[in-house]
Amino acid sequence: MKRSHRTTAVLGIAFGLVIACAPMAVQAEEGGPPPLKHPHITMDRKTLQEGLQVFTNICMGCHSAKYVTYGDLMRYPELGLTRKQVDALRGSKSLLAGLTTDLTPADAKMSYGKVPPDLSVITRSRQGPDYVYSILTGFEHDPSGRIPDGFYNVYFPGNHIAMPDPLTWFHHDPKDTDHIEEQARSVASFLAFIGEPHQLQRETIGYYVIGFLVLLTIVLWLLKREIWKDVKH
Amino acid sequence: MIERMLNSSVAQWLDERSGIVGMVRKHLLDYPTPKNLNYMWNFGSLAMLVLLLQILSGIFLAMFYKPDAMATAGGYTVAFDSIERIMRDVNYGWLIRYIHAVGASAFFFIIYMHLGRGLYYGSYKKPRELLWIVGVIILLVMQATAFFGYLLPWGQMSYWGATVITNLFGAVPVVGDFINELLRGGFSIGDPTLNRFFSLHYLFPMILVAIVVAHLHALHVVHSNNPTGVEPSKKGLIPFHPYYTVKDLFGVGVFLIVFCYFVFFNPTGWGLFLEPDNFSPANNFQTPAHIAPVWYLTPWYSILRSFPDKLLGVVAMALSMVLLFFIPWLDKGRVRSARYRPVFRQMVLLFFASVVVLGYCGHSEPTELLKTIGRIATAVYFGFFLFLPIVTKHEKTRPVPQDV
Repeated sequence: MKRSHRTTAVLGIAFGLVIACAPMAVQAEEGGPPPLKHPHITMDRKTLQEGLQVFTNICMGCHSAKYVTYGDLMRYPELGLTRKQVDALRGSKSLLAGLTTDLTPADAKMSYGKVPPDLSVITRSRQGPDYVYSILTGFEHDPSGRIPDGFYNVYFPGNHIAMPDPLTWFHHDPKDTDHIEEQARSVASFLAFIGEPHQLQRETIGYYVIGFLVLLTIVLWLLKREIWKDVKH
Repeated sequence: MIERMLNSSVAQWLDERSGIVGMVRKHLLDYPTPKNLNYMWNFGSLAMLVLLLQILSGIFLAMFYKPDAMATAGGYTVAFDSIERIMRDVNYGWLIRYIHAVGASAFFFIIYMHLGRGLYYGSYKKPRELLWIVGVIILLVMQATAFFGYLLPWGQMSYWGATVITNLFGAVPVVGDFINELLRGGFSIGDPTLNRFFSLHYLFPMILVAIVVAHLHALHVVHSNNPTGVEPSKKGLIPFHPYYTVKDLFGVGVFLIVFCYFVFFNPTGWGLFLEPDNFSPANNFQTPAHIAPVWYLTPWYSILRSFPDKLLGVVAMALSMVLLFFIPWLDKGRVRSARYRPVFRQMVLLFFASVVVLGYCGHSEPTELLKTIGRIATAVYFGFFLFLPIVTKHEKTRPVPQDV
């Protein structure tokens, strides 16, 4: 048995080394974007409503979140908007209409060179809310001077972003830093929420499910031990 | 209680016309099972449970899913939209979808453990060769099913993954292009592909059920192997019920805890079960930076990538699967279990290691270092089959116990 344990250990260590070294090798070979900023994402009502406000006031100038309807804003308890608030927001649009921008794809292409992506699941298709937050607060001066100011983004793959600095991060007054960061954080939280609107419910149910299963499994384990008592090895 | 049920007039009525009571007794209650099976033997019943879960959740998903690649607003498609509707508007649709998505990964994990157990304890050796072969067929049908299913969300990885895999068939000489077009229903992945993949994704699980029945039948003819690999005497056998029903149920409990952790708290499985790229709608003008199949197919993808020549890679990949069928005959040893076969044991562990390393390499972006590691692992993988007959013919085994 001892010998076999040693073999397993050697194999395990060999494995570990391969798995541990490989990502380092990957990073050494590429000079990719720096690690993303890591804001504190919360899904309380205040943050989500602030995020919704940033989204409808700023993002929706160009972007949509078509899978979220105006009706959803009342329906999801996490957001908890009143009918009055929703009516003010939607104007003449239907409650069944998605949060879509009025900018047509053709106009967008003309103005920005490409159609802005729908943001319904943006945190799921990129590296989570961290990505959204980092992009929004990642506008800087291009050290090489090739990309014009306002289109150079540290965190965007390739650095040249078509989206003009939406929260006016570049050249902002230092006393506004906290305000802009809070805007970015709340809208990142909002987008993380609408990416999967039932996620909080999912986790709540999950605790009950796992709790029940643990109890059930303990009972099954005791039953198994009792039944197997008379089997001699 | 079970006795009362089996003796009830309804059961007796059924039994006279179908022999059901006798069957239940023979194959479930009194079915003789070695008393020394360890927990590695739980994966068979777990695999059946997950197959059932997949079919049930799949039936409900199919009630809402629409296999249609027509473009909709925002760069999405009808298919992508229908899945987001399931996630958002269908009551507990998110739960059904996550069960199905996590279930796919769980199914493969279980099947790989099950296969690994069979390999380690020599469960493929005479008289269980057919049982093993049917098992390998199950693996292949599962892989096909999973591949068809992965196209359905019509995300970037669905689209480009399917493009890469169908391209492989194009490497086959003479008929390659024909097969390729037949699979795709056109010259590239498109709406016809989505429709036929959906149809096949619904068909293949039915085939799978039929083959699983054959697998169970084959098992019940030759009976279970056990960790010693020795045929048990009467004294070494115990009835399946209650001993293994309760042990399997305990295994189900443990499994469900892990499964539900993923479903409720980590449904994307760190981006391994549901990849981030697949939340971007399919776009035939934009290739993702890095295309890789889902984790359970990456070992074979890695073998494919280890060869600079496409045809050679495809042949190697096919061979890596086909060779599994021949293991019962490549292994010349008389002793079954690796417990008493020191050299075979090392070989088999190294083989498992090579599969894991291959899987890791296939999942990651190919750097020079990873390519080299992948090639070494490929060599180890094939080396196992190459040396199996030679080593097992001359291997000095440890003494085997008289009984289990």
